[in-house]
Amino acid sequence: MDKNEALQIQPRPGQPEKQAGPGAWYLLSRGDIDRLVRSLSVAYEVVGARMKDGRYTLDRISDPAELELEFPPRVHSPKKFLFPNWEKLFRFRLGGKVMLEAEKAAVPRVIFGMHPCDLHAVQVLDDCLFEGEADSTYQAKRQATVLIGVDCEPDAFCFCTSLGTDKIDSGFDLFLHRSNDGYLARVGSARGLRLLRRYLPEIREVDNPQLPPAGKSCQRSIRFPMESLAPVLGEVYDHAIWQEIGERCLGCGSCNLLCPTCYCFNVQDRLDLNLQGGERVRTWDSCQFDQFTRVSGGSDFRPDQTDRQRHRFFRKYKYLWEKHQRTACVGCGRCARECLAGIDNTEVLNSLFAEQVAAEQSPSPGLEYQPQMAELLSVDSLTGREKLFRLRLPEPVSFRPGAFMQVSVFGVGEAPLTIASAPDADGHEIELVVRSKGSLTRALHRLKAGDAIGVRGPFGNGFPVEEFVGRDVLLVAGGIGLVTLRSLLLTILARRGEFGRVMLLYGSHSIDQALFRDDLKRWHLGDQLDCRFAVQHFGSQWGVTGGDITHLFRDLDIVPARAVAAVSGPAVMYRNVNPLLFGLGFTTETIYLNLERHMKCGLGKCGRCQINDITVCQCGPIFPYSQVQHLREAIER
Amino acid sequence: MKPKVGFFDFTGCEGCQLTVLNLERELLDLVELMEIVEFREISSDQGEALDIAFVEGSICSSAEIRRLKAIRARSRQLFALGACADTTGINALCTDRTSEQLVGEVYGTAVGHLRYRHPRPLEAFVKVDGRVPGCPIDGREFLAILQSLLIDRMPELPTYAVCAECKLLELPCTFERGVVCLGPLTRAGCDAHCIAEGDRCRGCRGQVDAPRSGPYYRILEEHGLSEEDILNELRIFNLSGEKRG
Repeated sequence: MDKNEALQIQPRPGQPEKQAGPGAWYLLSRGDIDRLVRSLSVAYEVVGARMKDGRYTLDRISDPAELELEFPPRVHSPKKFLFPNWEKLFRFRLGGKVMLEAEKAAVPRVIFGMHPCDLHAVQVLDDCLFEGEADSTYQAKRQATVLIGVDCEPDAFCFCTSLGTDKIDSGFDLFLHRSNDGYLARVGSARGLRLLRRYLPEIREVDNPQLPPAGKSCQRSIRFPMESLAPVLGEVYDHAIWQEIGERCLGCGSCNLLCPTCYCFNVQDRLDLNLQGGERVRTWDSCQFDQFTRVSGGSDFRPDQTDRQRHRFFRKYKYLWEKHQRTACVGCGRCARECLAGIDNTEVLNSLFAEQVAAEQSPSPGLEYQPQMAELLSVDSLTGREKLFRLRLPEPVSFRPGAFMQVSVFGVGEAPLTIASAPDADGHEIELVVRSKGSLTRALHRLKAGDAIGVRGPFGNGFPVEEFVGRDVLLVAGGIGLVTLRSLLLTILARRGEFGRVMLLYGSHSIDQALFRDDLKRWHLGDQLDCRFAVQHFGSQWGVTGGDITHLFRDLDIVPARAVAAVSGPAVMYRNVNPLLFGLGFTTETIYLNLERHMKCGLGKCGRCQINDITVCQCGPIFPYSQVQHLREAIER
Repeated sequence: MKPKVGFFDFTGCEGCQLTVLNLERELLDLVELMEIVEFREISSDQGEALDIAFVEGSICSSAEIRRLKAIRARSRQLFALGACADTTGINALCTDRTSEQLVGEVYGTAVGHLRYRHPRPLEAFVKVDGRVPGCPIDGREFLAILQSLLIDRMPELPTYAVCAECKLLELPCTFERGVVCLGPLTRAGCDAHCIAEGDRCRGCRGQVDAPRSGPYYRILEEHGLSEEDILNELRIFNLSGEKRG
């Protein structure tokens, strides 16, 4: 047996190799290959795929006829020859003086039938086991083993095409490509060339090999660039998907045991029967096993399948990539192919990636501007100019009194309208007041019950109702400003017992223009609140105060120390009313103002409603006086 | 002084002791390192102190309880030998009827003096230091455990399931044949013997320490098993039944 033959990788210096070296091509018939196997068997253990008990396995080949060169991916990995499950590290003798015996040299071996993915896997093992102090046991096997590649057809579990491991240019001694008239052998190393020349001296070199078109396709794939794997995983350490697969995982370890690149191991002593000696052996281990991360004392830093599955993915696709710039997965599909729980790496990775992409890109640009369709339940005239719309929304909403909706009539446009009703538990129905003023509001006035209407929202920051609890509340409304305060008043009345005195002062131009006259009459006659009105043009049948709203402050009996004031009306009203409130003893903290502007987008973007440096649609439209007193654009003009 | 080892049996088929006897060639190497002082001694309440007692069978009567406690009292270490002693094994199949019914069915009503209890594992009555699982036990595993005890190393059983050994043998998954297999729950150490022989795993070695029952039952349900079917599967070797300790 020529041991040098097996162990020598580098060509002997000075040997005339011609130009033919790695990269040369030779044409072989199947008969040539059989002869090669027979000749190699003298000096090497020849291993290849053969049928055994009805399935393919990589096994010792004694008869060249049983060697299969085309076989499906479902075969256990050649890892078992290069990094076997049971590997003697050394022998020891007990009894008397302890003696250690080194392991003998590795058996020279030729593996026929390395699929491209498995050749890539050997490179991963090289990365990991040669790093730092090289693992000499692996190194010995690696050097003593001739690797002969063959091509394959992906099955339903393969995803090598996603990882670039469906083909290979180096890392083999020979690679056999099926061709029309036999096999085209590509030389990958000087050793490969020497073997061909020695055992098949008569075969001819091919200058211009005609390979059948390559082009493999896999049903499974990683649907994003391989380079993104590590960054994608970097974001998802705490993702729920680990728990989801952890709860499916049986912890059987099949994924690790079948993986061509998993190499984690345990070291154990095995005793001879007579207890006179034994061997220290290395056996495959699995990060999915219970004892794998258990430490002395019984605690376990990776105690369940959720953590263990995440670790498997991170090790394969992140940690080792960052270390060696090579993914430790070669896409052979063995883990998913034989996982009883159906855990599938491509599925997990694709869903994580898709989720991140979805989070980064708005799935449908402009969605925040797109109204939802509400149903108009009823339309009631409040005055000659204003109508009350009752809407049923497609999704329930919650809001504070003072919030507004963006209402659309397609073809005309969109405008903000304050919600006139109180928020309720159901959240599906709201009321809006529409004053016919421009083309949009005229279009709204033409709608009738049953029509659809586009809405966005609610938007805006309303009254802090919870802060009013236990206090007296003074509501001061002018004109259409009552709409906002009606929402607040209805909210208070629904929880009447939680508030002190409630007083509504309402001023309008004339009786006819007063909003919610039925409500006003009911509130005025009832005992839940003190309701007072003023009209500038009087003379009608209502016995109300003549003049503007300031008249209502004349005999106001209120204790400002325990009261808050909510003010909603035109700017001119604020200029007149605010000094009166301060005169009564209200402070900048106890006066709330409604500073509605034309809130075009409602999203704080368009700038239309911005007063000095504050966007009304986001910070308001309801503000405590203290928040806006420094804003020159707020009230004074 | 050589450690003294004794073998005892209670209610069971004695197949585990037979497995030990069949190891004659291997035992010859070991036998010089120990002293087997008792083997299949039926009535040895009294006797010399032992270093290791291997006890086979389940405990089914008050007399058996007394004898077991006497063995325990004079043994430094006591190991359950096989499934009947370890988990009650298939003996537990009889617990679906009362002990009176059982006695009546087997011995008829004429025999009135027999007093049997439902079979229990050793652990129900005495402290057990370790076990050799299986029905019957695996000879090589028994030897490894015995070796460990002889050099005063606590023997360790695999904490992983039979699936791992199936994969190492490159056996196709039994579920692929549409056949239910208890391998995913069952403690390895048998080299997937039954599956290698074309059968399936029925769980004779008992469950791993932390069986993934939830995911496993889900897979059984996906294969069309009802809850009752699943319980029947587990019942064969009393997998979910007897509590330990």
